[in-house]
Amino acid sequence: MARQQGWFALILALAFAAAAVLASFPLQLGLDLRGGSQLTLQVMPAGAIKRVQSEQLEAVKDVLDRRINGLGVSESTLQTIGDDQLLLQLPGEQDPSRAAKVLGTTALLEFRAQKPGTEQEMSGLLKLKRQAKAVLDQQKAIGTEKAEEPSLKAEELAQLLRELGVTVPPGSSESEQLEALLAEVNTRIVALYEPADLTGKDLTGAGRQQQQTGNAWDVTLSFNAEGGRKFAALTQRIAGTGRLLGIVLDGRSISEASVGPEFKPAGISGGAASITGNFTAEEARDLEVQLRGGSLPLPVQVIEQRTIGATLGTENVQRSLQAALLGLALVAVFMVVVYRLPGAVAVVALALYALFNLALYALIPVTLTLPGIAGFILSIGIAVDANVLIFERVKEELRRGNTLIRSIDSGFSLAFSSILDGHVTGLISCAALFALGTGLVKGFAVTLGLGLLLSLFTALTCTRSLLRLLMGYSGLRRSTYFLPQSQLPGSAA
Amino acid sequence: MSVSSPELKLGFRISRIRRQGWLISGAAVLLSLVGMALCWSNPQIAAPLRPGLDFTGGTQIQIERSCDPAACGSLTAEAVRQQLAGLTLPEISGQATPRLGSAAVQVLDRGRSVDLRLPDLEPEQTQALLQGLEPLIGTVNPQQLSVNTIGPTLGSQLLQGSLVSLLVSFAAIAVYISFRYDGIFAGLALLCLAHDVLITCGVFAWLGLLRGTEVDSLFAVALITVAGYSVNDTVVVFDRIREQKRTLQGLSLEDQVDVAVDATLTRSLYTSLTTLLPLIALLLFGGSSLFWFAVALTVGIAVGSWSSIGIAPTLLPLLARR
Repeated sequence: MARQQGWFALILALAFAAAAVLASFPLQLGLDLRGGSQLTLQVMPAGAIKRVQSEQLEAVKDVLDRRINGLGVSESTLQTIGDDQLLLQLPGEQDPSRAAKVLGTTALLEFRAQKPGTEQEMSGLLKLKRQAKAVLDQQKAIGTEKAEEPSLKAEELAQLLRELGVTVPPGSSESEQLEALLAEVNTRIVALYEPADLTGKDLTGAGRQQQQTGNAWDVTLSFNAEGGRKFAALTQRIAGTGRLLGIVLDGRSISEASVGPEFKPAGISGGAASITGNFTAEEARDLEVQLRGGSLPLPVQVIEQRTIGATLGTENVQRSLQAALLGLALVAVFMVVVYRLPGAVAVVALALYALFNLALYALIPVTLTLPGIAGFILSIGIAVDANVLIFERVKEELRRGNTLIRSIDSGFSLAFSSILDGHVTGLISCAALFALGTGLVKGFAVTLGLGLLLSLFTALTCTRSLLRLLMGYSGLRRSTYFLPQSQLPGSAA
Repeated sequence: MSVSSPELKLGFRISRIRRQGWLISGAAVLLSLVGMALCWSNPQIAAPLRPGLDFTGGTQIQIERSCDPAACGSLTAEAVRQQLAGLTLPEISGQATPRLGSAAVQVLDRGRSVDLRLPDLEPEQTQALLQGLEPLIGTVNPQQLSVNTIGPTLGSQLLQGSLVSLLVSFAAIAVYISFRYDGIFAGLALLCLAHDVLITCGVFAWLGLLRGTEVDSLFAVALITVAGYSVNDTVVVFDRIREQKRTLQGLSLEDQVDVAVDATLTRSLYTSLTTLLPLIALLLFGGSSLFWFAVALTVGIAVGSWSSIGIAPTLLPLLARR
């Protein structure tokens, strides 16, 4: 008896814990349930690379991660699937076509000419950029937050930020404010450029070299044939006008270069160019890396795009959920009508089972998708089956004239082997599906597998200890609470 | 239970109707195979089942329109088709723009919802297409829109992944049953499983032929579920037979099987019923996205329940004798 009470206390404690988990960790719903977009990207082998290796997949993912962050979409996730695929999920109403465009292009590096008539604005912005950069460099060199001779006073900085409409979180450090300022300035510079028709796609390489005299560095570029032609045309157009050539990476200006009047006749031709920016060695290396790294190491292709509107998603879920609940309510009625007292106990145990399952989903966390819910419903079916098996056995034992307590005990022990076999075969399929299946199938395997493991626990412990506990009350120890009078031995004969 | 007399008192003897049972199952399997063969020979389908977007690749767009019922009803599929034929989509990275004349258009729910099946479209092209349709169908609310694009490579990957995992799990289950019972039981369990999966496929082959129902990746999930359920159901009867081999040694194998089936019959029926209840509720009242999934599961589980009663146990004496 004490043992049963111990079990009962444990179950009660677990139920409270599960409820607490559900209250504090929300269930994660898949995009098919709450609406959103999902894109699967295939990384394609190219050139000398015949098979995509995991380092290359990671390198592609890094570049894409940066690009997506640049897009400003909230709560997006990018994860790798298998050896050569990436999955991007954008919840809610976000335009997937923008993301697909950004992800699909190998490079977002653009060479753009400054618009005519924006010289004054540009020089103002460039001055600001130089100032901000100088202060930041100084700070970095000293390694402290306080610059010795700041060329920008704190009040000035605050004033500038206000003018540019940049909001910084309260309490940000001076360097964080400067970074915000710099980012805004770079975005504004980009607005002064014409649309690009030369992109990083045509860039074949980037390098750096020290100038013949002095310590300054240049950054070199080389283009393919088409890029060379476009670059020549682009530079010819702005040569000698004082307008600048902007190098824009992911919508941010990373460098601005002037083109001297000597290139007026033919532009910078020959498919190669150097940017003479009086760069320090470090700056030159950064720019070189940005130029090269802006392009994806391997091309990617969007092979799957699924978008479901938020309302469509929730409508579907609500209807299916209501239907499933109705079905489960019918099952509960059925159990109580057919199995009487133990049936009612089983309903309690199954409610606990559902609670534990949901808490596990929240805790692990398992993202619930439509197939996942199907797995959950099926696992409930199997959990009910375990109870049916036990109670049928209990009834049989009672019909043979065994005592109630004995019948219950042997019902549980006789049903055990078939319950175990059924669950183990189910778990075997789940393992195979999880290891080899694709996304949808995996979601199904996870919820079904968890359900099967839990069902072994609830059928064999929850139902049993609840039933044994109730049998401690003599008022409930009646065979007719288990079986109609007419089926009991000795009554019909 | 004393068991020396061959006269068993049983409510139900499965061996009495075993021939009829085999006949029914055989006919159902044959009919399923015929359905799949017809599908395969149909040039429009050219596969045992009519493959949906998930397996063929392409773009599917579903639009729930926001319009009042009277205005909605005037939209016809033909009008949408004509509007589509007149559109030119932006060219993406030098690839030829897909021709929209081949699109399959369905106007459902009295004009309130439009379903388009198109060749593989890039997101920008989808956007352009929706804009091009707006004069005809009204403003498209992104909240009420579903767009699925599946590249052709993904479809075959999906199919391959599902098939491989299905076969591996069958093999592993067979090994487990041979280990816990013996080889004949494992063979019978797999036979039943094949029977259940084939008939479920057959129903969908006929549905595909007669009313164009397509199978998607959820159908693959349903088949896997049916397979798992079928084995679970069969194992319970086997467990009982094995248990009785010890207690009912005096009886012939046929009689032992009859006793086992009779003893587990109530359980088999109740279990199927309790699993079918939520499924039928899902079928009748659930969202449209799960309808065919629920149909596949309902058929599969009902058939699986029958095969665990009428096929696996009754074939056992035949096989064991040899």
